[in-house]
Amino acid sequence: MSNNQNALQIVDLRAGYDASDVLHGMNLYVGANERVGLFGPNGHGKTTLLNTISHVIKPRAGRVCFMGEAIDGLAPQKIVARGLVHVPQANRLFPDMQIMETLELSAFTPRARAEMKANLDYVLELFPRLAERRRQQCKTLSGGERQMLSIGVGLMCAPRMLMLDEPTLGLSPKLKDELAEAIAEISSRGIPLLLVEQDIAFILSLVDRMYLVDHGEISREINRSAEVDHQEIMDMYFGSGAHDHG
Amino acid sequence: MDALHNGKTWLIALLVITGLLVPIFVEDTYLRHLFIIAFVYGMVAASWDLTLGYAGIFNFAHIAFFGVGIYATGLTAKVLGVDPWMAMLIGGLAASAAAAIVALPIVRLKGVYVILVTFAFSQLVLQVVISQSSITGGTQGLVRVPTIWLPGYNFLRDYKLGYYYVAFGLLVATTVCLRCLVRSDFGLSIKALRDSEDYGVSRGIPIARQRLKALVASAFFTGMAGGFYVLYLRVASPEIFDFSTASLVLSMVLVGGTSSIYGPVFAALVLTFMSEGLANIDNFAEGRFMIVAVTMVVVLLFFPKGLASMLPNGFGEKTPEILLHRKRRIAGSTDHAE
Amino acid sequence: MIMVDMLSAILVSGIVLGSGYALMASGLSLVWTTLGIFNFAHGVLMTLGAYVAWTISSGGGLGLGLAAGVAVTVAALIGAGILIERVVVRPFYDHRDILLITVMTTLAAMIFLQNGIQLIWGARLKQLAPIVPGTVQLWRTTISAQETLMIVLAPIVLAALWLFLSRSRIGRGIKAVGQNADAARLIGIDVSRLFIITFALSALLAGLTGVLLGSVRLLTPEFGSEPLVKALIIVIFGGLGSLGGTIAAAYLLGIIEATLTFFIGIYWTPSMIFLLLIVVLLFRPQGLLGKVVR
Repeated sequence: MSNNQNALQIVDLRAGYDASDVLHGMNLYVGANERVGLFGPNGHGKTTLLNTISHVIKPRAGRVCFMGEAIDGLAPQKIVARGLVHVPQANRLFPDMQIMETLELSAFTPRARAEMKANLDYVLELFPRLAERRRQQCKTLSGGERQMLSIGVGLMCAPRMLMLDEPTLGLSPKLKDELAEAIAEISSRGIPLLLVEQDIAFILSLVDRMYLVDHGEISREINRSAEVDHQEIMDMYFGSGAHDHG
Repeated sequence: MDALHNGKTWLIALLVITGLLVPIFVEDTYLRHLFIIAFVYGMVAASWDLTLGYAGIFNFAHIAFFGVGIYATGLTAKVLGVDPWMAMLIGGLAASAAAAIVALPIVRLKGVYVILVTFAFSQLVLQVVISQSSITGGTQGLVRVPTIWLPGYNFLRDYKLGYYYVAFGLLVATTVCLRCLVRSDFGLSIKALRDSEDYGVSRGIPIARQRLKALVASAFFTGMAGGFYVLYLRVASPEIFDFSTASLVLSMVLVGGTSSIYGPVFAALVLTFMSEGLANIDNFAEGRFMIVAVTMVVVLLFFPKGLASMLPNGFGEKTPEILLHRKRRIAGSTDHAE
Repeated sequence: MIMVDMLSAILVSGIVLGSGYALMASGLSLVWTTLGIFNFAHGVLMTLGAYVAWTISSGGGLGLGLAAGVAVTVAALIGAGILIERVVVRPFYDHRDILLITVMTTLAAMIFLQNGIQLIWGARLKQLAPIVPGTVQLWRTTISAQETLMIVLAPIVLAALWLFLSRSRIGRGIKAVGQNADAARLIGIDVSRLFIITFALSALLAGLTGVLLGSVRLLTPEFGSEPLVKALIIVIFGGLGSLGGTIAAAYLLGIIEATLTFFIGIYWTPSMIFLLLIVVLLFRPQGLLGKVVR
């Protein structure tokens, strides 16, 4: 399955906080132009995985290769400079900065600065709401606007691949649809995606392939072509007694 | 558990007896002087541990309270002619009063403000002492302070034997009181507040009042120590308010380990002898404080629980919380990893 | 007429004081807003700056003149700032109690440097030659040209600092790191490099204050202690977190101090300022001009 053409290749990745391991040897890949989902309950290591890939926390063992090169020893800013961009969950961003300031600042690496103008136009076109509120401070934004800005910030980093952590957390169905459209548009420009989500419908509408994460390991890989249905995943995942937990 | 407890009791009894016997073997006046100074620092360090270690109050006015004790005792004894023993008590009470004034604005404030206000207060006391030179002697210091007395006994002609026992008695009394305090309900409640303010408050612990009490109690002991210090030395100098003094005593608390009371007492003993030994090297007065500074950083870097935690018997308690190495904000987002 | 003279005297000396305080406190505030720590070695950095400048430029030292003095001071202070960050701050970034621990470690750094200065330069009083000699009449009050230079230079330096923070890429990065270091990391900002730059910049501001005040006051190893305490009071007054608040509070404190000194004398002024501080904190714990701290 794996080859050097993959955007991201992760082999036996282990990481954790303090004494406890959270990731017990993760293996996965994201192909060029591929949209891949990560699905699983809270607390099973999805966010830790993204944090480890972007080196916000240090891996304890294993390999991370981006565009064919090992990046597991690189500092976070070097990883961003190479174009692997992580949009974290519930990002507070920079509370006292205005939207435009934040977007301009986010083109921080030299490569991103070179593309700043084009990327800025693209972000404002993709999220017209940000353009309307360009002088507003981040701390006054609504949940949806903040999420849009987070993704906008990611795009300003000139990504060659995006990792999105629960972009729909706490959003209304209408906003979720809007975001799904925007994310689909981004990926149609040839940017591979690794998408962490809890909303199964949202994830199925966006990805080509999906991993199920269970206690810090990949428990199953699902090809979308196999047309697995929603309930089936829930049953597979939580056992058929899942409904009883309410 | 009982065996361990018994062992500890025996060890403490042994140490107290050793302390009582020291002057029999140590006849040198200078060595006795060092012991006396060490006992004073022991009281100051141990009582600082009550606020800094147990209550987790970022109190950096402790040395100022010590200074308040020194000047209150010195001035009441010298200017007002109050009996020196009584003046020592007044020193403790004055330090408590000063602590209450400081506590007023800080008990409800966040850590950073507590640090700033207590530092500012220390400087204020220094400024007052220097500026009121007609009473305090200003930068020249307070001189010819009367000393303690006992009927039919001369403290000045006994090669410091009397002072040794008074200092030792005060140290033992202070340590016993502090240990009782931290093991009482009050001690438990301030520890609870330190470890989790929300939890403590939700259990009905009055946060402001408990912190006020901790500050007042801790200041009383350091004020008494200051009172004895000035009656013993018979002079007081505003140099006591220097950042250097504060860092010396702070290093004792850190080396001994916070939240233990005993730790700072022993560290005071060791560090006083070390620091005085270094001071005797010619032209090395500055170097001594430079070494104290390096010691502080090294202890914080490599022995966050204090050097006492290295001892097998573990005089410290199990968790000197404020300095335990705990990671914070590893990532902006968390996975609620349990 | 006498009323006007009095007002002039108070205002002018208040602004002179405020200028020094603003330069001093802005460096302290910069480190606080960016790293969330208080650098108690900030005062001794000021002392160091003055002593280095004295050694290079004064006749009592190497006598190489003002320009050389400034150049070497800048280099020395940047170095000292970086060293402090490296040795006593950096090892504790991951600590939960970083604030308390770095108070102690920077205090240790201060003790170390202060005694080191005494060891190298001795306790004998020194004074820098004024950068500009003579006196100047301001409104109805005559002050030294050096003090006038401070009044003029402080706003220029602070404006330059403000421009740097709000316009330059690095400056904006520093602000971003202060607001959310994790988010800053994920947009490719090298957070630890900006921490170092912040420290160096702050040290530079302290050193500049030292060079300016070093010809107005006498140099001792404790030269920076009093300004440090004033800077602490200012950041409380100004509310932690904003450079603008800090600068405003610095000038406010300067004028309050000048007024109090005029009316109740130099001896009782510190106590009154402290009393004022307590009253402010009782009613506005977030500072006079401040917002709620993070």
